[in-house]
Amino acid sequence: MNRITARQWAAAPLAALLVLMGAASAAAAAPQGKADRMSKHADKGITCAQCHGKTGKKAVVPKKQCLTCHGETKDLAARTADVKPNNPHENRHLGTEADCNRCHHEHAASENLCLPCHAFNFQVP
Amino acid sequence: MSQDHLKEDKEPDPYTQQVLESGLSRRSFLARAAGGAAAAGLFGLSGAPALAAGARAAKTPNPGPDAAFGKSADGGATLSFLPKPRPIHDREIKRTLTFDVVVVGAGASGVPAALSAAENGAKVAVIQKAPFALSQGNTGAGVDLATSEKAGVEALVARLIADSNHRCNPKLVRQWAYHSGEAVKWVVDRARQGGSPVVDQGSGAQRAILKVNGYGMGYVTSFFGPKPYTTGDGMRALAKTAEKAGVRFFYNMPAVQLVQNKAGEILGVIAKDPDGQYVKFLATKGVILATGDYQNNKAMSDYFIPDVKHLGRKQLDRNGDGFVLAYWAGGVFEPIGHTKMLHDFDAGPASMCDMPFLAVDRKGRRFVNETVEMSLMNNYLKDPGNAGHYSQIFDADYMTQAAKWPGKLVPPEGLKHYMPDDPGAKKGVFASQVNTHVADTIEDLARKIEADPATLAATVKRYNELVASGKDSDFGKPSDRLVPVLKAPFYGIHRRVRLSAICSGMLVDENHQALDADGRPIKGLFLVGNLGGGFYGGVDYPLTVFGLSLGRCYTFGYLTGRHVAKL
Ligand SMILES: Cc1cc2nc3c(=O)[nH]c(=O)nc-3n(C[C@H](O)[C@H](O)[C@H](O)COP(=O)(O)OP(=O)(O)OC[C@H]3O[C@@H](n4cnc5c(N)ncnc54)[C@H](O)[C@@H]3O)c2cc1C
Repeated sequence: MNRITARQWAAAPLAALLVLMGAASAAAAAPQGKADRMSKHADKGITCAQCHGKTGKKAVVPKKQCLTCHGETKDLAARTADVKPNNPHENRHLGTEADCNRCHHEHAASENLCLPCHAFNFQVP
Repeated sequence: MSQDHLKEDKEPDPYTQQVLESGLSRRSFLARAAGGAAAAGLFGLSGAPALAAGARAAKTPNPGPDAAFGKSADGGATLSFLPKPRPIHDREIKRTLTFDVVVVGAGASGVPAALSAAENGAKVAVIQKAPFALSQGNTGAGVDLATSEKAGVEALVARLIADSNHRCNPKLVRQWAYHSGEAVKWVVDRARQGGSPVVDQGSGAQRAILKVNGYGMGYVTSFFGPKPYTTGDGMRALAKTAEKAGVRFFYNMPAVQLVQNKAGEILGVIAKDPDGQYVKFLATKGVILATGDYQNNKAMSDYFIPDVKHLGRKQLDRNGDGFVLAYWAGGVFEPIGHTKMLHDFDAGPASMCDMPFLAVDRKGRRFVNETVEMSLMNNYLKDPGNAGHYSQIFDADYMTQAAKWPGKLVPPEGLKHYMPDDPGAKKGVFASQVNTHVADTIEDLARKIEADPATLAATVKRYNELVASGKDSDFGKPSDRLVPVLKAPFYGIHRRVRLSAICSGMLVDENHQALDADGRPIKGLFLVGNLGGGFYGGVDYPLTVFGLSLGRCYTFGYLTGRHVAKL
């Protein structure tokens, strides 16, 4: 694991630091070229760099990046217009602009953000 | 404002003094942290022993996710949920825009603040994190001065202060009392101009409080409904009116930092645009933060209001952004033990929520004298097992048996709108949140309300014995509130109180200007809505006046927008 000096520690906000440390340990543990944990995309032959870029930094992929392959949010919403009982991609809280990462997780089980409040029992892929 | 209360005091009022002494500000935290062991003792007493770990955490590079505190770059300590902002250099700013007033957050207080400022001649920008204006609820309350006795207004103020256990700032409550009628009427009118079907329900919605201490009262009550239409839709309509009045809205633009000069004056806000780039909004007259509460910030919630640790949340993305911004600008948090609002008006009819039917916990056990209102039930259901769940149980005769109770009974036909298992259309409700059930046996009902059948059967048997005896020797409920659960079909409303709002905030004066740790106004910084402090103070939000929360948000948005525009 990379050493973090006292100065770096003092300078980094806590949240950023935890991400940083996570990245360092993951990079050390993962075999080269392979995702450290489960990856639905990797199973389909998509490389880490296609989502995360070449910097090698482990970070949440911005929504924009998702959309380069999956298309415009409005088109996505149109495709799920018939999901019952409600269209998850067009809702009263976030319109068509929910961040994909909120529900769809790549390296962990996905979750249904609606569930704490609504009985919208769809499975999130 | 009432003339009697206009006298200028030089000394801070007792509320302000108390917050300055026990609230949390950057300065007070530094002072406590510097106190070392003494500081640990201080916080140990107030129920936050984690601070002791803070001093240690500062020395170790990896405190782990449970450590509550770290040390910031300037050597001062910081709470983990109050990350010190990284300086954003001018070269990182994509563009700079200048307005008179910049409002952060387009919700129940932000949109009115922006429109009010614009109507008073200011050039206004609203920066909003979400893709559109967003808020929740339906009912907003104001006092109609024309139809209220002056003594009634003062009696109501006294009642609300008592509801807050005498821990609020009376000046702010009085300010609401004397300006809310005008403000709520204005919101109704301007939202209607934007296309909202909003109505003023007047005093009809406030039946329980038409007389206070014998003095007559009249109300203005805005209603953005029926569900699923809400204040969120209403604020989107109001935003249309605001746009016509010249307000510029910037959506998908979370505020991330305040711009502050060396003298401590707030000059503007930096926000992040949808491309991840920084935009600087300069505000020549002032920044109004209206970012709502912090219920979705777990660490902040656990710290200030541990009561709600296991209770669900009714909002999304209320991460306390405004609190972090105001704290680093020198603002002061109200002391630990914030006021909370927990309701469930959706599982069954709202008008029946306080009716003292047999109530059982998640397992099916009786747990309280049922004359306790729903808004206080959370205090019995805080544990992870119950987590806010309970059920109201009644039998086929409820329409006659409970006819004289306060509240309004909904007949069986109407209850069907609240039954997820009933195939009929659902009107005036959120279909995905209804949770009322009917069954021919108590055991079947138990299964539907997700309680343990044997436990519920035993509870009902015991309850019926108490009813037959005419005395509630288990919980002391008055005998006229004891009706048996004997005749099928049996009904159960499975309520789940979740956190609607946290209504304590940061220290402000009567202009809603943020105060620093010395009690001095922070130039250019105003806080409204649930981010503003001082209006409440009790354990729970009072339902004395229905819709006080939205009424307060509209009123203080309206007043603050006008005040800042005129600076
Ligand atoms: C289900 C429900 C029902 C309710 N019913 C009622 C009722 O009938 N009557 C009543 O009086 N009260 C009710 N309430 C409470 C009431 O909704 C709130 O007290 C009120 O909306 C708070 O207003 P606010 O302006 O402080 O915040 P909000 O209305 O929450 O608005 C805050 C806004 O700030 C935005 N924001 C947050 N962070 C940032 C950032 N960094 N940058 C830019 N924008 C940001 C948010 O997107 C949001 O739009 C209810 C609450 C809930 C959850």
